[in-house]
Amino acid sequence: MILRLWPGTPEARVAAITAMLETSGVRTSRSPEMNRPIIATLDKVDSELAGRIDALDEVESVVHPVGEWRRVDSSFRDGPSVVRVGGVPVGGGSVVVIAGPCSVETPEQLDDAARCAHKAGAHILRGGAFKPRTSPYAFQGLGQEGLYLLKEAGLRYGMPIISEIMDAAQLPAFLDHDVDCLQIGARNMQNFTLLKSVATARRPVLLKRGLSATIKEWLQSAEYLAAHGCDNVILCERGIRTFEPATRNTLDLTVLPLMQQWSHLPIMVDPSHAAGIPGLIPPLSRAALAAGADGLAVEVHARPEDAKSDGGQALLPGELAGLVADARVYAAVGGRHLAQQLPRPVGRPTGG
Amino acid sequence: MQPQTRNHLAFLDRALLNLLEERARLLAEQDVSAPANLEDLLLRASGDFDPERLPAVFEAIEKGTSPSKGGSR
Repeated sequence: MILRLWPGTPEARVAAITAMLETSGVRTSRSPEMNRPIIATLDKVDSELAGRIDALDEVESVVHPVGEWRRVDSSFRDGPSVVRVGGVPVGGGSVVVIAGPCSVETPEQLDDAARCAHKAGAHILRGGAFKPRTSPYAFQGLGQEGLYLLKEAGLRYGMPIISEIMDAAQLPAFLDHDVDCLQIGARNMQNFTLLKSVATARRPVLLKRGLSATIKEWLQSAEYLAAHGCDNVILCERGIRTFEPATRNTLDLTVLPLMQQWSHLPIMVDPSHAAGIPGLIPPLSRAALAAGADGLAVEVHARPEDAKSDGGQALLPGELAGLVADARVYAAVGGRHLAQQLPRPVGRPTGG
Repeated sequence: MQPQTRNHLAFLDRALLNLLEERARLLAEQDVSAPANLEDLLLRASGDFDPERLPAVFEAIEKGTSPSKGGSR
């Protein structure tokens, strides 16, 4: 359960209530919320103790989350949380666009993609260096060299970077190359060893929904990250596997309003992987923003026909520009706004 | 006026306001002015909104959302 105390409750009383629980063998977690004290219980509370807690004057309300999570529950904060990725705010009314190629392939290819992503108005540069491919014979990514190229391109265009980490052993490389946001891919959503390791890095994490994961399982994975020290989690819906073969996956927009009820975490949508068809990406993006998405993650490639992975679902540069312009309108109609791009550093020559 | 119609109008007015605020925000970020392409807009107008009033509306929008409008921000 989550105890929401009245704003202004003296710290001595918060400590006393915490002690009541802890001395009964119930571990607790204090919310970082500044507006009021919020305490989550991590173990089962017997009915007698629960009754005594509930009757305390300091307790405004007792919330029972619909799942086994605590720290990522909406009642653990006083409003939606904002995650800062290298200075770009995600959530809390600020809508962002993550764009870039599926894989980092060459310096020239990445520079083309980064330039057009920046020019289109995207905020964060994505690019895969370690690729989880279905076929062992498919391009597996450039590894550390890919991270190096991605960071260089990000610095050139003033864009924080995000890349997928597949194994805890890769974490030092991600930190060495100062990757601003670590992505947990759909296939690793329930790799709890990886989640625990990544959480220790204290970097923002973008947690993609597993392709057959329920919403509750997804939030449990987010709770793993939060429980091990990572408060900056961004959820990302990327489509789930259904009986429908017309699209690569089925984009589940239901999660957007539902997650906003259940969790304080920002949530983005990846229409590229959901649809797998470029022509569907703009309308799905508009639908996602209308349903409350805090941002979009899309793939872009200057020459999709030459891409080493997922070229068939990449947007062309001009299509990305249209998508970002659309995002501005749809965000504004809903009372939100497109985040401001970070300024591009002066004097950094373009690569490629 | 029906309550439902009043609600729809209120929603449309809020959406218009939000879009105007976003136009101003975009221009302020880049500290530039950008007159609306009135010719293009008039071509797209369906006629439900009095076309003769559109130039004045967009002139006001341009003044209101320009970073150099002065004093109001």
